[in-house]
Amino acid sequence: MPVKLNENLKYNYLAADEPPVRDERVGGCIAYCGTCSCLQGDFKSGCAQAQNRVFSQSGGCQLGLAVGIINSLTRAVTIIHSPLGCCSGMAGMAGVRNTSRISRGLPAEEQVFIHTNMDELDVVSGGVEKLKRAIFYAEEEYHPEVISIVNGCVPGIIGADIDAVVRELEPQISARLVPIHCEGFKSRFVSSGYDAANHGILRYLIRDPQEYPQLTEEKQIKYDFQKKYRTSRTVNIFNVGSNSNGDEVELSRLVSALGLIPRVVPLNSTVDDLDHLGEAALNVSICATHDDYLLGHLKERYGTEYLLDVLPIGINCTNTWIRKIAAHFHLENEAERLIKQENEELLEAIAPFVEQLKGKKIFVGGGETRILTTAEFYKSIGMELVGVKAHNLDRFVENLLNDIQDPNLTIEVAAGQPAEELNTLNRLKPDIYIGHAGANGWVTKLGIPNIPLFGAPINYMGYSGAFELARRAARALKNTNFSKNISRHVGYPLTEEWMKLDPNDNIIQGARF
Amino acid sequence: MGDFIERSKFSCALGGALSTIAAIPKAVPIVHASGGCAAALSGTYNLSAGYRGVGYCGGNMIPTSNISQSHIVFGGEEKLVGQIESTLKYIKGDIYIVVTGCQTEMIGDDAVSIAARYQDRNVIGVSAPGFLGNTLRGYDAILSALVKNFIEKKEEKDVRTINLLGIVPGHDVFYRGNIAALTELLGKIGVKVNSFFGDAESVEKIKGYGNASLSVVLSEAAGQITAKQFETTHGIPYVTTDLPIGPKASERFLRLIAEKLGIEKDVVDDVVAAETKYFYSYLERIVDVAADLDFQRYVVAFTDSYYAFPLIDFVSEELGWIPHFVSINDLHDKKKQEEYSKKFETLTSKTKPQVIYEDKEGLAKKKLRASWPYNNNQKYYNALSPLYLIGSVVERDLANDYGAGFLSVAFPVSNRAVLNKGYAGFRGALSLTEDLLSNLVSAR
Repeated sequence: MPVKLNENLKYNYLAADEPPVRDERVGGCIAYCGTCSCLQGDFKSGCAQAQNRVFSQSGGCQLGLAVGIINSLTRAVTIIHSPLGCCSGMAGMAGVRNTSRISRGLPAEEQVFIHTNMDELDVVSGGVEKLKRAIFYAEEEYHPEVISIVNGCVPGIIGADIDAVVRELEPQISARLVPIHCEGFKSRFVSSGYDAANHGILRYLIRDPQEYPQLTEEKQIKYDFQKKYRTSRTVNIFNVGSNSNGDEVELSRLVSALGLIPRVVPLNSTVDDLDHLGEAALNVSICATHDDYLLGHLKERYGTEYLLDVLPIGINCTNTWIRKIAAHFHLENEAERLIKQENEELLEAIAPFVEQLKGKKIFVGGGETRILTTAEFYKSIGMELVGVKAHNLDRFVENLLNDIQDPNLTIEVAAGQPAEELNTLNRLKPDIYIGHAGANGWVTKLGIPNIPLFGAPINYMGYSGAFELARRAARALKNTNFSKNISRHVGYPLTEEWMKLDPNDNIIQGARF
Repeated sequence: MGDFIERSKFSCALGGALSTIAAIPKAVPIVHASGGCAAALSGTYNLSAGYRGVGYCGGNMIPTSNISQSHIVFGGEEKLVGQIESTLKYIKGDIYIVVTGCQTEMIGDDAVSIAARYQDRNVIGVSAPGFLGNTLRGYDAILSALVKNFIEKKEEKDVRTINLLGIVPGHDVFYRGNIAALTELLGKIGVKVNSFFGDAESVEKIKGYGNASLSVVLSEAAGQITAKQFETTHGIPYVTTDLPIGPKASERFLRLIAEKLGIEKDVVDDVVAAETKYFYSYLERIVDVAADLDFQRYVVAFTDSYYAFPLIDFVSEELGWIPHFVSINDLHDKKKQEEYSKKFETLTSKTKPQVIYEDKEGLAKKKLRASWPYNNNQKYYNALSPLYLIGSVVERDLANDYGAGFLSVAFPVSNRAVLNKGYAGFRGALSLTEDLLSNLVSAR
């Protein structure tokens, strides 16, 4: 019997300046090489969570993920309180922000960000004066709605109090100030960054919406009634940085098809959108790893029920996602009709791709929820799933692991760590690889054709996303010359000794740090 | 010390260090820092430097000690030792460079001494925490450490060999093309170039760089520390000049080096004549369209000091465009600024550009706006038009606002894919002209 994903998790952290890191709040595994059934056992016993690796490579930083959320907000200026390296990639992302906004029908906006540029002196002094000047500068030059202050490792280690700065300047600044605590060294789980940003949104950005009284009593009654009705039919769909506008359009279409009102939040939202977050009957996550913290706290604040446990990728998961939403509104019959029609249309459309993909070996690597649902889809259309690799593994995918029903499936848990992945792929020799940004290049160098696991302009979710997944995989196999050439002429830097090593020998027990 | 920066076009010292290491053939970085630094910083140069890629052992392939909370308290030296030993076993490399991040420097881990224990296996340690400075500082941290601790001392110098410094990999998006162009050009006057990152370089060759008789630094902001290190450790003098773009600048460049190395004037004369002829034999092709479509432009440059004068010099002295405004984002020292501004007085254009030093993008834009009289709705308005903006991808929207032609040359460049292209020398300038003018005809 599947358990509730966030059973026993508490959502009462908003009184604190910063949220607990995932290490404390959720826990999980960062290093594992083995089979699905072994992992399930070791996860239950707690052994998997106590593993680490000897030879380790660069993974991720929670700061990047936190900024991904907070910087997406409309009319926001992000101040990075750190040396210049943190988020230095943002300068080259000006066009990416606009492409993303324009694809959603939002007006283009400059990508404005400020570094406090902490130097050796600031390491001693904390750089607080500079931070204050930066806040005033952002306010005066850009008049934004949100100024977020993102704390890096340097102020984190010396204990610079950005919360005090915010409290001091709040009365002088018209933008909403939000401090975000996302120092990279503080957590082994990059997903802590989601909580850090959501904590800021919950604690500092969401305010009580302005209500304007209607002119006459009659109008007021009508307005109140309409609002109550609208709220009772509204479904908040919580988007994530890795989903495209295509995904949002498709998921909104499915929710609308049930006769409900979809609203996509919080990425790209205005502060006004955030203020009205509470006006919904149901909050629907598309990835528990991203936003259990946000939805849990919104339940505490507004009493809004929420769904956490399905990422609508592939046919089965999308079906389940629709069923769960429909069940909340007692729309079971409508849901079944919709599912039947959608499934028939989709299966017919993907039939030619299924023919090409049938029996081909596939490996999927990336974020825990997305890989397991994506893998499930390819398996469901007759491909042979040879392995998966998750950045980390926690309680949010326990049910998905049970659903795989392949006890001998190779599972690797590693954030980044391409050496382990290449070693594994070299043994399993899949026909195609689907992976997270940063991994696909190395897989190309190994000579395996691949497609990205997510990407801004591409639709992955819902039924249209399933069509895209099948279509893209089939296309990638039509001509594999690129990866062949690259593996022959470029290669990768790992030694023979490493490639012959059982990757499990690199894993150590009982050494969490 | 440094103030806050809006839309910084620099990464930190660790970012510069990693970008530099990625450009050294078969060099492997070992990062002693938190888990995300290496991949994120490497990613900056992968995506924002004309899609330069992560390189031989970059991105998340970079061995990292993954320092976390408990190491901040108890120290991470032990973790680093394990990381160095396993990297030596599992990653093929000709040199291993241990670099530190902010976290480990702040807690006082002595990574450089630990690295020194593995000296016999080509491991060196370099302190390059983010707070040390920007990208350029990281470039100098790596190169000066190589010069001091890795490059062998040679009493006998080769009078025809120079060290080429100041071309920062990644930060100069066209670094490989520029190095190749200058290496080829100098080869024509019989000069051999030690470039660290050029096409035929290797770690073995770098070890022998003590043989040069001159270091040539192409930047006021990068390479100076390394050049001084070459001087103190290896007794090699240095000279600072500009990245040469186009016939006139390239001629000046060749004559400067020839003079320093004692190369006969005839040799240079022949090369300059032949290369200038080559340049104009191609430039001739655009003469008709440039005249018929009136391609002369006002020019605004938003770049670093490495590119600002060379680009303005080329468009002014060779193409005959009108230099109007230059915003430079990296020189902070007042004296250096004054000296740099003087370069623009040598331009023969009747209009000399206004030169400002500004690393807050919003303020630089305001100053540009203030550099030209406003349109007060008068009947006849002398507009700042036709205008061409040379900058980084960050200025794309600014160019749109002014209806200006636009080319991204300075970092970051994420709207173009760059492979072996370079703008330096006689022939590189042809590429630059192609790119500048392609933008003007792209809508036809």
